[in-house]
Amino acid sequence: MKNYQYGQSSKSNAFNWFFHRISGTLLIFFLVTHFWVQHYNSSTQSVGHKAVNSSELEKVSQGTKENTLGYPEGGKLTPYDRVMQRLKSPDYAILWKAFNILFLVFALHHGFYGLTNIISDYVKNGTARAIAVTACWLLAGTLFVVGAYSTIVAGLDLGSKATAWLP
Amino acid sequence: MERVKYKLSPHMIAWLFHRLSGIAIVLYLILHVWGLKALAQGPEQFNHLIAKYHLPAFKIGEILLLAACAYHAFNGFRIVLVDLLGWSNKQKKMWFVAAGLALLIVIVGGYPSLMAVLG
Repeated sequence: MKNYQYGQSSKSNAFNWFFHRISGTLLIFFLVTHFWVQHYNSSTQSVGHKAVNSSELEKVSQGTKENTLGYPEGGKLTPYDRVMQRLKSPDYAILWKAFNILFLVFALHHGFYGLTNIISDYVKNGTARAIAVTACWLLAGTLFVVGAYSTIVAGLDLGSKATAWLP
Repeated sequence: MERVKYKLSPHMIAWLFHRLSGIAIVLYLILHVWGLKALAQGPEQFNHLIAKYHLPAFKIGEILLLAACAYHAFNGFRIVLVDLLGWSNKQKKMWFVAAGLALLIVIVGGYPSLMAVLG
């Protein structure tokens, strides 16, 4: 069983340590851009500024034309329509999909590397630690596959078969 | 087994907030990626998900998420400056700047969400 104590580890974690700082800095740029497009630019935002109470949830979620999510044009477009508008031009779609997949990779590496650091601080038993760390990276890998696949096929009209395997 | 003792100093609070906000953001990231696969599944699923994000509980969660992200980003950038540029002599001053900027972002950015719930 691999021993993770200082000085006895077979592999240096220096790259991950360094990359944590690089990815963290890049994530600030990704997050600001993502936030601007998604939440603050009224022509592109796909999340409006109104709260919806649970009694009107069903009506709003049907995507009726009078949805009350608080978009600038009075809810004529549903959230799905607004995202599809962003993806209408193929060049723009490729740019945004590439942006979001990169964002996903950096966020997953940064987040789950951080989580494995925390696990290493508290889980002293070598076997338990190895299991927990492996589980973290498996979860990160699963999220990458689901997230990247969903991003790529979004708006491509491939039919329900293309997404039937998604949980 | 030797136990590490934590003393609650300002440095420890800066570190603890960073760690807790980090855990919160990872939990949100899992939910976010898992939820947004609805975009590939079709309009019904996606519109239903986004409608749920407008429930008051989520609007409050949005403010907490913004607080976690803002603190983690500014304090994280402070750590990068200390680690990669060696600005350790300025690190304490930088923490107050980071915390101040985070607070400002939470007030300005959280206002629409708060008003959505109250108004």
